[in-house]
Amino acid sequence: MKKNKFLKENMGFLFIIPWLIGFLVFKAYPFASSLFYSFTDFHLFKGMSTFTLQNYLDVFQKPLELKALVVTFKYAFMTVPLKLVAALFIAYILNFKIKGVNFFRTAYYIPSILGGSVAIAVLWRALFKDDGLINGLLAIFHIPAVHFMSDPNWALFIICLLRVWQFGSAMVIFLAALKGVSVDLYEAASIDGAGKWRQFFSITVPLITPVIFYNLITQLVQAFQEFNGPFIITAGGPRNATTLMSLLIYNNAFKNYKMGKASAQAWVLFVILMAFTALSFWSQKHWVYYADEDGR
Amino acid sequence: MKKKVLAVLMTSVMAASVLVGCGGSAAPAAEAPAAEAAEEAPAEEEAPAEEAAEEPAAEVAAPAGDVDYEPCTIKFDWWGGDSRHEATQKAVEAFEAKYPGIEVEVNFGAWTDWETARALEYQAGNGSDVTQIGSNWIPDYDGDGKTFIDLNTVSDVLDLTQFNASDLEKCLDPVGQQAGVPISMTGRIFYWNKTTFDKAGIDYPKTIDELIEAGKTFQEVLGDEYYPLELGEYDRALFMSFYMQAKKGEPIILEDGTLNVTEEELADGLAFIQSLEDNHVIPTIATLAGDGNVTLNENPKFIDGRYAGVFEWDSAPLKYTSNIAEGQELVVGEELDFGEAVKGSSAKVSMAFAICASSQHPHEAAMLIQYLLNDPEGIMIMASERGVPASKIGFDTLNDAGQIDPLIAAAHEGVYAADPMFFSPRFDNGELKGDGAAYIDVFSGLSYGDYTVEDAASILFDAYSNVCE
Repeated sequence: MKKNKFLKENMGFLFIIPWLIGFLVFKAYPFASSLFYSFTDFHLFKGMSTFTLQNYLDVFQKPLELKALVVTFKYAFMTVPLKLVAALFIAYILNFKIKGVNFFRTAYYIPSILGGSVAIAVLWRALFKDDGLINGLLAIFHIPAVHFMSDPNWALFIICLLRVWQFGSAMVIFLAALKGVSVDLYEAASIDGAGKWRQFFSITVPLITPVIFYNLITQLVQAFQEFNGPFIITAGGPRNATTLMSLLIYNNAFKNYKMGKASAQAWVLFVILMAFTALSFWSQKHWVYYADEDGR
Repeated sequence: MKKKVLAVLMTSVMAASVLVGCGGSAAPAAEAPAAEAAEEAPAEEEAPAEEAAEEPAAEVAAPAGDVDYEPCTIKFDWWGGDSRHEATQKAVEAFEAKYPGIEVEVNFGAWTDWETARALEYQAGNGSDVTQIGSNWIPDYDGDGKTFIDLNTVSDVLDLTQFNASDLEKCLDPVGQQAGVPISMTGRIFYWNKTTFDKAGIDYPKTIDELIEAGKTFQEVLGDEYYPLELGEYDRALFMSFYMQAKKGEPIILEDGTLNVTEEELADGLAFIQSLEDNHVIPTIATLAGDGNVTLNENPKFIDGRYAGVFEWDSAPLKYTSNIAEGQELVVGEELDFGEAVKGSSAKVSMAFAICASSQHPHEAAMLIQYLLNDPEGIMIMASERGVPASKIGFDTLNDAGQIDPLIAAAHEGVYAADPMFFSPRFDNGELKGDGAAYIDVFSGLSYGDYTVEDAASILFDAYSNVCE
């Protein structure tokens, strides 16, 4: 009887054991151990000899690490707004009843599937190298060639562009949200004389702010963790202009085997992400509209 | 009640399947290239290493020659290009046919990130039985002598007398064990696009003055896009070491690991490299980045002859000759004369085979190495895919059969004709050579104008001092 009661009370726990084991082994333990290592000089092949705060200080003092931090911020603040605007704009257009809309929806989603693959890296290089397609087109209009891949200022731009180009998943989410906006509201606004722009900014945008908020958070997290673009296209160059924090962490951990340093950098990135996410959640009371009873 | 029992059973099955899934997912992920390799080599039969480990060790078979061995599965990894992959797979198949019962699981791929993946396997105690290693891997990953076995312990099957003592010495680990056996020795030498030099109306350079003169001629006769030589960051570090060694008459890092260069000498070397850019001998780092960050053999400017010189290992010219455009001819040059008593070039162990300490079958692993390096059958199949063999019997067998690629043979001869100096593995340490490490920082910084020669020399001196301390 007692056994039955025990089983009954703990059945749920039994069901989650597989997940729990996976979580503890593959998430919680690495999470905790990386925090421990971040305060050490742990080198994969030389071991650990001292506890130190130097790894954290280096992030804000060493030129290379400080530059990676700045570049990561630049990257995030360029890609997130651009990607959200591009995704919303295309979703808005594709929400109209136009001929072949399903084809366009698929076509715009494809870049998200292709992602930062090697094939895309080859394509990007072919487009943006000094004698690439873009400079070829510029030459037709007698515009001087732009050194996209060798100029530190332009190199980050092409990496951002790769991420913005992959707006498909955000677009699909926006599209679903746009479909949820009642047509009655547009009709009423139209009768009151509101034009398309007014309708967009006064009806559409406020009603889809929860989805904008969701996309903002997910895109922010993705942007701060971006790795593929700079890794496969520019390898962090030129002059570390595209060395984002994630790439620096990878290089330190898996090229130089400085696990302690890499762990500290990963934790700094984590704290930054947490701070921005918390800030975003705090800010939503000022601009996100939820259609609940109390508007929350 | 039955439902509850069923639920508990289902939970257990699910938990077990997840755990099995976890265990299984790690192994195939780590061995993905091996699976690809198996696809390319359908004749090979796969047998999980775990099964082999569980096999009884008592069985002994001796069908081939007088070598005793246990039926088992051993793992073998290497990096390289397609032609090396094909030749090595054929050699492995022939080895398996010669020694029935030994199965070889192969894992191969391109160089990119290969070292990182193998280093992590060594650290995890999960390295292959036979592993192809670079010359700097022994000090970098086997500092305590616990990553690779002492090959003297398997010298009953692996004939170490086929190798020069001095070459073997270069594969000792810091505790004095024979961690590796050299496959080939190598040094950097110049390859010139004779077609482009003919077009410019000059012969390819043999001295540094002729090289600098060629830069001017190329610019005047052929145009700004033509350069007599291409050097990336690591190439610049190596060429600079030749320059400094020629001036000093000694290696810049001595055999005992001592740094043998001052900050002032480094500044002189860096100024020399910068002068090559200034004289249109080599393209700037920005120009190379603008080419799309591709390797030189894939760079259209090399393929069509606009970059007319390559500074490359004597074992690696085939990747250039196979890519160069039709009508272009690549020839081996000689080590450049700096006008000093010596040419300052250096040579090192190109690559070596080692047996991981985690191997359950070191005896059979040694048999595979013996077959690849010292058995005429294996030698002929492998040919010069890993350069000119360091093994005496390997060299004689290929030489007698005319199987050493003429370009590789000529390059190798050119390297050794210049009486190369010692090349320290420390020169290739990850702190210097890796992504975001000193060579890339210093030489790109200098080229972009971010560093003065003095700044660059100071950074490089500190980096060298760190790895040589």
